[in-house]
Amino acid sequence: MLKRKTDSRAAQGHRDDGLTLQAVDVTVRFGGLTAVDTVNETLHRGEILGVIGPNGAGKTTFVNALTGFQEPTSGQVKLGQKVISGLSPHWIRRHGVSRSFQAGRLFRDLPVSENVEVAGVSMGLSRRRAHRHAMELIEWIGLKEKARQPAGVLPYTDERRVGIARALAMQPAFVLLDEPAAGMSDLECDDIMRLVKEIPERFGCGVLLIEHNMRVIMGVCERIHVLDSGKTLSRGTPAEVQKDPAVIQAYLGHG
Amino acid sequence: MAMTTEGNSAQRPTSSRFTIEAKSPFMLQVRAWWPPVLWSIVLLIIVAIIMLAGGPVLQKTLTDALIKLLVVVGLYVFIGNSGILSFGHIGFMMIGAYGAAWMTCCPRTKKLFIPGLPEYLQTHQFPFLVSVVVSGLLAAVVALISGSVLMRLSGIAASIGTFAFLMVMYSFYLRWDPWTRGASTMTGLPVETNSWVMLPFIVVVMFGAFLYARSRYGLSAKASRDDEVASKAAGVNVVGQRLLSFVISAFIVGMAGALFGHFLGILTVDSFGLPLTFITLSMLVVGGMQSLSGAVLGSIVISALFEALRQLEVGFNVGESVIALPGGGREVGIGILMLIILIFRRNGLTANQEIYWPFRGDAAAKTAMSRKS
Repeated sequence: MLKRKTDSRAAQGHRDDGLTLQAVDVTVRFGGLTAVDTVNETLHRGEILGVIGPNGAGKTTFVNALTGFQEPTSGQVKLGQKVISGLSPHWIRRHGVSRSFQAGRLFRDLPVSENVEVAGVSMGLSRRRAHRHAMELIEWIGLKEKARQPAGVLPYTDERRVGIARALAMQPAFVLLDEPAAGMSDLECDDIMRLVKEIPERFGCGVLLIEHNMRVIMGVCERIHVLDSGKTLSRGTPAEVQKDPAVIQAYLGHG
Repeated sequence: MAMTTEGNSAQRPTSSRFTIEAKSPFMLQVRAWWPPVLWSIVLLIIVAIIMLAGGPVLQKTLTDALIKLLVVVGLYVFIGNSGILSFGHIGFMMIGAYGAAWMTCCPRTKKLFIPGLPEYLQTHQFPFLVSVVVSGLLAAVVALISGSVLMRLSGIAASIGTFAFLMVMYSFYLRWDPWTRGASTMTGLPVETNSWVMLPFIVVVMFGAFLYARSRYGLSAKASRDDEVASKAAGVNVVGQRLLSFVISAFIVGMAGALFGHFLGILTVDSFGLPLTFITLSMLVVGGMQSLSGAVLGSIVISALFEALRQLEVGFNVGESVIALPGGGREVGIGILMLIILIFRRNGLTANQEIYWPFRGDAAAKTAMSRKS
């Protein structure tokens, strides 16, 4: 396995309890199509892992499998020692594995603050405490002034930020971000990058980041896992992956 | 947020030029709970006027309208928060109504007409209040059992499921002779319900519904309404939250059924079918499905229109001739008016918003108002 990141700044007392999110030979088949094919990966707290690959490589399906939205056809997902594949998504979220969605998927009719609050109340906080917690996160993403607006009227980039804040509510151990910067301008990407970079230190989570934008991936990830047609194509540091001929052929093509 | 209320109830200015600073703890509570407070006052005024000045027919019509209003508030608790349209709630109303009959008809009648009842129910007679609350609980228990299956469905499948539930309950009660007298009329319920009796039930239920919508459970249900998948990713147990709102709303509708039984004194299964389902649903839709204010306003507006059209159907004299709507014109008229309302206000008269404290002026008021239902 890859060496454990030892200099992690996230090693703040109890937060770094050595918990891992592990995919063991995870395979997802839809009929004849194998979307994810015997993928292995271990995500540690305090690190940022990039998952890249061409369209249809199985990145989102992989995230679905890790968070309980898709039960693996074979293989296991483990949180620490416990096998969590097959458990319900809300159980997995409550036990520390969180995700965001490619399409944002905010609660359109609820105010921004309540969008984040939902995670708090569903994990047992009172509305008052959940609200306070939500407001801290909303301040962090820089949307304090819009906290009372319905989420449905937010511009695209703000929507993504709220999605990230919602995923980080209640300090999950791991957060899986599905293309948070998709369709954004370079300037907006830099903003998202700054947020994502802060996550391990601020929240003590391990981050899995799916992204198409190579600038974002190379800018924030310590490790990269390249998928192609559901299979692991290459793994390593950004520098290693960029040099891997298989990756250049499959993904960077023209590069 | 600004909107119109019934003419006879508009006691407040519609602009915010007039402000009342809420300083005392009591006034802060009034403001935080404004929607149910407002509607309690409005209903109190309507009931007072009609009960003191109206004729007996109008008084009966009002009680009937208030029973429907209670049903609609019950519907709102489920539909408004979970986002699933239910065609099955009139089944809970029927369960509540027959529950009331089992508990309150005199033992002699019960022995004669519904010999299937167990010995204990057969020989005992319970007070009105016990009958209403226990009938609500009975409906809630049925909702808990049926809902643990139905609430696993989503979207239109769940709605069709609730429709199937109504059909099953309807057919079952229609053929369950030893308990329900089947297609015959069940008689002998003590007549207890009038508009004054309805009022406290409605007030308590409105406050309860508002409390639920603002609670963490209500918030979780609303999240699942807006995006089921994302709510799971936020840790919401979607089936559980839907089931909770289903059970609470069935309790309310069950109580309304019992009150309905105690209003007419007689029951037939076929009064709990599709016509009542659709009239109550249309009240909710016209008012605005996602707010308590919508449920209440929609019931008031549709009931008032229905009564007005009924008057027109009876006709009025112009000189020698009688001008009247043709028979059935009432339903046609209501249909057309509903279309007009929905074309111009797609989210109902209240646009799915609550009506909040209108006399705002200070910052605290805005915080209180920011909580959208």
